[in-house]
Amino acid sequence: MGNRTPSQTIGPFFHVGLKWEDGEKVQFAGTGERVVLTGCVYDGGGTAIADALVETWQADPSGKVPGAGAAVRAYGYSRAMTGSDGRYTIETLMPGACTGAGGEKYAPQINVTIFARGLLKAVRTRVFLAAADATRDDPLARAAGARAGTLIASQDAKDRSVWRWDVRLQGKDETAFIDF
Amino acid sequence: MSARDAIEIDPPYDFPGYKSTALRAPKQPLIRVAPHPLEIAGPAFSRSFAKESEADLTTWGKSAPLGEKMILVGRVLDEDGKPVRNSLLELWQCNASGRYAHPVDQHNAPLDPNFLGQGKVLTGDNGEYRFVTIKPGAYPWRNHPWAWRPAHIHLSLFGNAYAQRIITQMFFPADPLLPIDPIFNSVPDPEARQRMVCKLDLEQGIEEEALGYRFDIVLRGAKSTPTGV
Ligand SMILES: [Fe+3]
Repeated sequence: MGNRTPSQTIGPFFHVGLKWEDGEKVQFAGTGERVVLTGCVYDGGGTAIADALVETWQADPSGKVPGAGAAVRAYGYSRAMTGSDGRYTIETLMPGACTGAGGEKYAPQINVTIFARGLLKAVRTRVFLAAADATRDDPLARAAGARAGTLIASQDAKDRSVWRWDVRLQGKDETAFIDF
Repeated sequence: MSARDAIEIDPPYDFPGYKSTALRAPKQPLIRVAPHPLEIAGPAFSRSFAKESEADLTTWGKSAPLGEKMILVGRVLDEDGKPVRNSLLELWQCNASGRYAHPVDQHNAPLDPNFLGQGKVLTGDNGEYRFVTIKPGAYPWRNHPWAWRPAHIHLSLFGNAYAQRIITQMFFPADPLLPIDPIFNSVPDPEARQRMVCKLDLEQGIEEEALGYRFDIVLRGAKSTPTGV
């Protein structure tokens, strides 16, 4: 134990090397409710981060772990790169709620890993695609307490398929990041 | 306290020697939670996601790229010594002159029309992988006066579980820039730092054509989560 290879920053030059065709479109074996998750990644000075890599991994619409399938790319996984305005956008299906091995109830959520220049190791968290009161019993929402609000995406009032979630790496309303 | 706490392996978020951490390092403590069922599982990439040609970065162009041709071999293992099979490993790097084929790279060194610096493979049954590439050059960066990055190859690994996902960098033995590179030295434990340095392995090379290097990579084990799950 303890012989792991350490993490290092992704640096500023990953865009060509880590490009996936349609990486921001999540694939699934089946169908479901189409949703878009979008937002900006900000640094501690409120500046949009133009060189972040945002990856998401989520349950399928029935709440199951997406398995191997016919697709070349892995089901349930996305990779998006922020633009000059710091914005990422992924197109996916609404993840189902699920139950953990110990009976814990997980609200509909997407697991997120963010790499960037200036991050010597990734930040990880989960974003809820659910109203705040529907996340109350979720293990992370409980553990995050007052900071849980930073993990709840807001559903667009006009286009109900769009969920907005900004990430703040540092400072006021810093996003609650996790270690698991 | 878990085994993972006893030795700090990863760098801290906040590392003043690397200026870009100043506004990007989270200041609040991480929230420790039991892994979500998705986090102990992982995405499954089909073998065809990495074409065979993507393991050889020297055949991308019309002719061979400039630089010192090298073969990079290694195994991906977890902390318990188990091979990490069928797992996506992506690699990117600058060319032999220290220039990335990337629009943001302003280093005044020549691009190589025969080198893109992008590769990917899926690991084999023993966690093994093999790339053919050229040795990247050192390059200057603006972190501090006279700042030059030691030659390095960027590596992105998925492991077999989402919790194992990591991006790291591989360095070369006896590089005089290593002792003064803030990114390499952000890893607190000197022994852990050395695990980011590959080894010369001549027999993996091609006689009179390419040098061989070995770089084994160790990912988190299944049991080494902070909550001990
Ligand atoms: Fe680099």
